[in-house]
Amino acid sequence: MIGGAGAIRPPITVGFGPGGRDRTFVAMDQGTATCAATLVGRVEGAWRLLAATALPAGGDPGIVSALLVDRVQHADPELAAQVGLDRRTGQPPRLESASGPAPVAVILAATEATRLALETEAAAAGWLTLGASAEASDPLVATRLATGAEVTALVVGTLDPAASGEREFAGELVALAAAVVERRPNLVVVLAGAAAGREAAFVPEARIIGVPRPRDEGGDDLRSGLAALRAGPTDTRRGLVAAAGTLAGLLGLRVELLEIGMGGALRVRAAPDAAGGPARVGSAEAPAAALGLVSDDASLDRLDGWATAPVDRARLRDRLAEIRLAPWADLEGEGAILRAAALRVATQRLVEATDAELGGPAPDLLVLAGGAWSAIPAPAALHVVADAVRRPGVLQIALDAARLLGPLGTVRDPEERSRLTRDLLRDGLVPLGTLVVPRGVRGGRAAGHLRLLAGDEPVEMDLAGGTLSLVDLPPGREGVAELSFRSAADLGVRGRRFALATTGGLAGLVVDLRDVPLRLPDRSDERRELLARWERALWPEHDA
Amino acid sequence: MRPEDVVSFVVARPLIVERPRVVVPLLPGDRVATAVGAIVAPGDLLAERVRDPHLVDAVSDERGVPPRPGAWVPATPRRRRTSPAGELLFEHEGRRRIVAGPHPDLVAAPAAGAVVEIHPGVEIVLQLEGIGIPGSALLGDPGHGRLALLPGDADGRTLLDVAHAGNVVVFPGRVDAEALTRARAMGIAGAIVPAFSDRDRRDVVASDARQRAGLHRLAPFPVLVLDGYLRRALAGPVHDLFAALAGVDVGLVGGSSPMCVAGVSADVVPSPQPDRVRVRGGREAGHEGRFVGLAGPRRVAGGIAIETVRLVLDDGRTVVLPLGDLERFA
Repeated sequence: MIGGAGAIRPPITVGFGPGGRDRTFVAMDQGTATCAATLVGRVEGAWRLLAATALPAGGDPGIVSALLVDRVQHADPELAAQVGLDRRTGQPPRLESASGPAPVAVILAATEATRLALETEAAAAGWLTLGASAEASDPLVATRLATGAEVTALVVGTLDPAASGEREFAGELVALAAAVVERRPNLVVVLAGAAAGREAAFVPEARIIGVPRPRDEGGDDLRSGLAALRAGPTDTRRGLVAAAGTLAGLLGLRVELLEIGMGGALRVRAAPDAAGGPARVGSAEAPAAALGLVSDDASLDRLDGWATAPVDRARLRDRLAEIRLAPWADLEGEGAILRAAALRVATQRLVEATDAELGGPAPDLLVLAGGAWSAIPAPAALHVVADAVRRPGVLQIALDAARLLGPLGTVRDPEERSRLTRDLLRDGLVPLGTLVVPRGVRGGRAAGHLRLLAGDEPVEMDLAGGTLSLVDLPPGREGVAELSFRSAADLGVRGRRFALATTGGLAGLVVDLRDVPLRLPDRSDERRELLARWERALWPEHDA
Repeated sequence: MRPEDVVSFVVARPLIVERPRVVVPLLPGDRVATAVGAIVAPGDLLAERVRDPHLVDAVSDERGVPPRPGAWVPATPRRRRTSPAGELLFEHEGRRRIVAGPHPDLVAAPAAGAVVEIHPGVEIVLQLEGIGIPGSALLGDPGHGRLALLPGDADGRTLLDVAHAGNVVVFPGRVDAEALTRARAMGIAGAIVPAFSDRDRRDVVASDARQRAGLHRLAPFPVLVLDGYLRRALAGPVHDLFAALAGVDVGLVGGSSPMCVAGVSADVVPSPQPDRVRVRGGREAGHEGRFVGLAGPRRVAGGIAIETVRLVLDDGRTVVLPLGDLERFA
């Protein structure tokens, strides 16, 4: 959405084109924890990133914009004059997107199987879910869940077609939901499958949405309905879905995007269309994969399993709860290390929750988006991916460090969005490097040899199983990595010799010769030591 | 940029809320004992809390206007057995589902005000006079008492005294579940703590549940947590405020906006200085000082580059800290 003079306006599609009058704008992603703002200016015919910052959420957007303008004016008055920056003549227009904590929906279904299926759809639409079924819970438990203060929607019903025996429960479920709405009149009710069409059971003022076919592929399905209920056109995650499609089309690459924040998580896969049409895009959210969300002891165990700092479980739980209370605080030192562990858990959860729909071979480019990735050093982000997504293949990884993609994705006109994204790619997407993950390499022994041709002198390196091998390949450099393994390895295809195109980044070329899936020592002290050793390799300031 | 613009980058939290609207949460089966528009005083009965609720099936009564969900249904004599009194959960195809159970625990008004909304089984909304001091969580049911600010920052157990019975005590520093259990046993009416660990919270909730398992009626023992989970002392402006309110009747309420409410004018509240900040997290957590200005993006321990600020701490040191580690009261 593009605003003017610091105000938010409805989406428009003019102003940033070659003939547009605006020479600067501020892209602003208002997240749950932080607000990322980027001042963009038109320099020598192209949009360039001039300044960026991230501040605790909740600040006045106008003052944040003014801060960026001040900084550019102080740092480079000529450039500021060239792009027409002058605080006295008003603020640059803003292109804003926003995301908040995932809302909570209660799912009421006849059977446990249907409840799980409906919960999956609601979660993919960005809702945190609580659920009860007639099969496993009594009506009192269901009513208690549905009348909770945090609940904003009720989803009642069946899938389409309803399973045998479900229809007879539908009437009672609807009666229960209608009674709940009399107690909580502000709830939105979604009647799905066999429950659709029973609006008459509710008080007239109730807000009811009917979804007769929850899995309709025509766009009237439950997921679309719930997604529209949750978020408007300026939603950051909606923007990221559009932006991933634009990236895939611009670069001609299969793009995967993993977004993780304090309020939720999103996975997008986009592939260019061979016929030159719009990219094919699939996406799903996983709000339970929000950073630091510990719902039970199993979640805490999982996080404890990735922790490299010696923190006992009680303290770990408290620190995570503090992160949820004040997510912008305590980013230094151990706070960053704890966030890295939480980020591994969140990434794993996101991938697990969406793999059935979006899984598959490694894409060409993985883009990391969302505030959680900015809370650790960029090279460490690549290591988090290597730990949490154990998928054989070769992957370029980039970081949306300034959180530009969300706001850019809200630009409604695809051509305008594409022009802006093309110009801002080199400034906005920080290349982290190339990650190579072969499967089938035995740990603890010589595994093969690497020869990297990038520049004047080739780099030669012996590869050892069970290790991370790092080669310095700075951003902007490209090369060819020749890998020869002692025995056949799986890099998406099985073989002993591979020649791979590689691109540089802040982490360089990383050949991950550890097990797929990763096997870690059972003893916590040994595990921590091993994880910390790996972590230090890509995080030199780890112990600072 | 103007100084007031720059300090606005520090996360602000309200020191007080004037004329707070507070929520008293209910559960299905709780019996409402007040009405919309009622003027209540501290201690007035709002609802009776159901203990061990269970569902009872009853045949719908075809006579008269059917009750709405949440309505209280009196006991109905039947040929075979009497349906117990309870709250109507819902009615479907001639069958009523009623939540029944004993109601030994009372929910009382935490402060003077008016009942403005009642949602049976969900909440009672009160419009209160005076001020509210926001917290982050309330453990237990609402309660009220005279405010007493304990001295120092020592172990809470050494500070408690039977003379505090009936008071809501403010622990200025460290406190654990054991100290609160002792406070409850001494007849203290409630507690306000700066921070409380998750383990201690669960201990307090479990202790409350154990006590409620008894047959006798139990006085509420609300615990208001002002900040979070990690140990820290009361913020200076909050300490000053509680010191000003010592001896005043206060109430502790929960819901989505937990707070300590007091029937006093906002004029008695000492105003915090606009450039006064508190370090909430990081290496200087707990310190307070004066905000000087932004120090720009810097690489901090751990290797990330974040916005930092310069401030003068109360001990005289000038330090540069991450912006996100600060908070101010407004």
